[in-house]
Amino acid sequence: MSNMTRRGVLKGATALGAMIAAPTVLRAQAAYPSQPINVVVPFDTGGYNDRLARALAPYLQDALGQPLIIVNRGGAGALLGHTYFMQQPDDGYTIICTSAAPFLPLNVLTQNASFDVSDFHMINTPSRDYTMMTTANGTGITSVQEVIDRLKEDAGSLSIGIQPASADLVNLMLFADAHGIDRAGLRLVTYSGGGPTRNATAGAVVDVGMVGGQGFLRLADQVTPLMVFDSGPRDGWEAPAVVDVSGADAQFVAGSQRGWGVHASLLASHPDRYEVIASAIESVSKDPAVIAALQEQDLATDWHGPEASNRSIRQTFEVMSRHVDLLQGS
Amino acid sequence: MLDFDAVSSAFELLGSSASAWVYLLPGLLIGLVFGAMPGISITMAMAIFLPLTLYMDFLPAIIFLTAIYTGAGFGGSVPAVLMNIPGTSSALATTFDGYPMARAGRHNEALGVALASSVIGTLSSYILLLLLIVPVSAVVLKLGPLEMFAIAVWGMLLLGSLSGNSVARGLLAGAFGVLIGTIGMNTAGYVRGTMGVPWLLDGVPVIPAMMGLLAASQLLNLINTTYLIENEEDRGISFAAILAGAKTAIRYPLIMMRGAGIGVVIGSIPGVGSSISNLISYSETKRNAPDAETFGTGNPKGVIAAESANSSSEGGAMATMFALGIPGGGATAILLAAFAMHNVVGGPQFIANSKDIVYAIIFTNFAQAVCLMFVGLLFVYAAAYIVRVPLRFLIPSVLAVSTFGAYAISNSLSGPITLFVFSLIGWLMLRYGYPVAATVVGMLLGGLLEENLIRTLQISRGEFSYFLERPGALAIFALMLVSIGLTILNSNRRKRLERSSEIGS
Repeated sequence: MSNMTRRGVLKGATALGAMIAAPTVLRAQAAYPSQPINVVVPFDTGGYNDRLARALAPYLQDALGQPLIIVNRGGAGALLGHTYFMQQPDDGYTIICTSAAPFLPLNVLTQNASFDVSDFHMINTPSRDYTMMTTANGTGITSVQEVIDRLKEDAGSLSIGIQPASADLVNLMLFADAHGIDRAGLRLVTYSGGGPTRNATAGAVVDVGMVGGQGFLRLADQVTPLMVFDSGPRDGWEAPAVVDVSGADAQFVAGSQRGWGVHASLLASHPDRYEVIASAIESVSKDPAVIAALQEQDLATDWHGPEASNRSIRQTFEVMSRHVDLLQGS
Repeated sequence: MLDFDAVSSAFELLGSSASAWVYLLPGLLIGLVFGAMPGISITMAMAIFLPLTLYMDFLPAIIFLTAIYTGAGFGGSVPAVLMNIPGTSSALATTFDGYPMARAGRHNEALGVALASSVIGTLSSYILLLLLIVPVSAVVLKLGPLEMFAIAVWGMLLLGSLSGNSVARGLLAGAFGVLIGTIGMNTAGYVRGTMGVPWLLDGVPVIPAMMGLLAASQLLNLINTTYLIENEEDRGISFAAILAGAKTAIRYPLIMMRGAGIGVVIGSIPGVGSSISNLISYSETKRNAPDAETFGTGNPKGVIAAESANSSSEGGAMATMFALGIPGGGATAILLAAFAMHNVVGGPQFIANSKDIVYAIIFTNFAQAVCLMFVGLLFVYAAAYIVRVPLRFLIPSVLAVSTFGAYAISNSLSGPITLFVFSLIGWLMLRYGYPVAATVVGMLLGGLLEENLIRTLQISRGEFSYFLERPGALAIFALMLVSIGLTILNSNRRKRLERSSEIGS
């Protein structure tokens, strides 16, 4: 229900003008932020978003002048946390640190979420993961061409570790289509979570793993990367990109895009507060001391900005909605 | 085995900043208190204090966090003994004999047994870690779904010993638990039994459900009793009795070593860990004990088996973390994050290049285990006063604390609601003579059983010959069969002896 009114507010673009035109009203209130700000992390403690939120929080609260409180609301593929966030008022005192892609599209496309992807506005998504096709050292598989050849001959000849209903699965199927591999014949071994999929890959329990590549950085000396699903090489992996293998027009979905966001309606309801938050995140993300501190923890701080971040999530949503059949349980 | 250069530089590292050791005691205490609070997990305690370590140097940070880890590992067994509430899921088997001991007025002894077993379990697991870190790491990742399934089945054998008088009721209660454990989205992406409730998509929250089944149902049954221990003169708090308990534990080195071995091996498998190792250790000990029929009624050996296994899982989890850079569970994930903050990244390279740090951390844990013995003594001495609280105050307070804990886990009402629903189920089960613990075991193992069975079918495409390609799994199954076979032989021999002595008398 609350979405409806929020969307209503969004549509009323005049509200924005009214806000700017009424500085006296704003001056009457204490300057934002006048109380602690909650950061919703829709995952349990210890995951990437949790670590990112906790690592950046000390710097961000210095920039904002108010403490940040991390609120973990894990569960149901971030659906519970995203729903909770949407239920909080759009007054700038609740912000979110989440894997906007793929979880917002997944919530909307497969879990009947009570919100839309466009109800979220990402200020910056510094961490941009990508699906990587990987094999353990010593499996004898050395190149993606070998995988293609073997799967073309018999799609079930290699076991593939993968998460069900994931961007990785969409990428695998697009890859199969591009190379004339029989989708239905693939031997998928499903894991719930990237960590277990990577462990199974590194341990050669499965022949090939299809899972986010950044998580493999820690296991780099145990695995052989075969291909990254991106428009160019990533993170120094010695593996071709999907555009080199499947052609320049190769279809693929970007991996997890994690970072900081607010209610989309905040831009209309409190544009001044949005400015404060956005510029604080921007200045902190560009601060060399912060970049160094986060790099030590394998956390990204790249500044892409709201426009590029939201555009990329929209694109991911569009590709995923075209392949919604793959996302509905396998 | 030991690299003595690295050992000496480890000592240098440890001696370099004496002030680092200041963090050991607070760490242990924080761990003990948080672990003893029902519902607060080890991971949660460590996550809360992780940001503090940002401002510390590497060594104090690691001493502080691993001290919390060690403290919380034991803290969970205090409410398990005194109130039948496992503070963490890894203390489940501690309740089986610890709580009956407490009710019989042997609470001091039970706490002493648990403490000594935990300390020795932790110590021996780190000694094993020192020797096994390389071979264990070579094997751990190679475990496939069939091996994991075999381990889960091994845990399920415990159902046999939890059944009490009626095996049929025990199995039914266990099957009920397994079914509850499979609620939610399974590993293949199918959603079952959530009744459209999004909070159930990740399954029934295990800790609130476990607290409800075990604690609340028990407490409701105590409503006509005035004290936890009926006999007034048995309600004493005695340091001597706690120490006597610790001595009891030392008298069973075999049980302890078996527990530590099981704990290290199971603890080193990512995603399995201490909540299963204590079950397997308990059932193995019970099956091999000559006085098996007294297990569950307050046999200290049951407490030794459970506590030595769950505390030694810490060493196993650390081995995997060091050797492979992989967190076996939440706690080691947080440790890895803390390492990363200080530019230390786990993995094979790390062990090869930074032996001194690995040794330093292992030695730190030796020191922690020794300190835990003393801090733990004071802690359990204070905690034992619970038996002097009249139940009309204790029951509502425990229920309130459990409800807070359930809320803390889920950060929403879903935790307390789960607690409430499962208290009712537990009370009904108790009333009609079904073993509640069997349901909890089923619930803990149900997910593991199901997901690995699914993966086995996916990877083998249903071909039976896959079994033959997995010698590891075959070995686990064979070990299990041998263990059961020996038990049957032994009990038959005992029965025959009893019968002949009856005839003789």
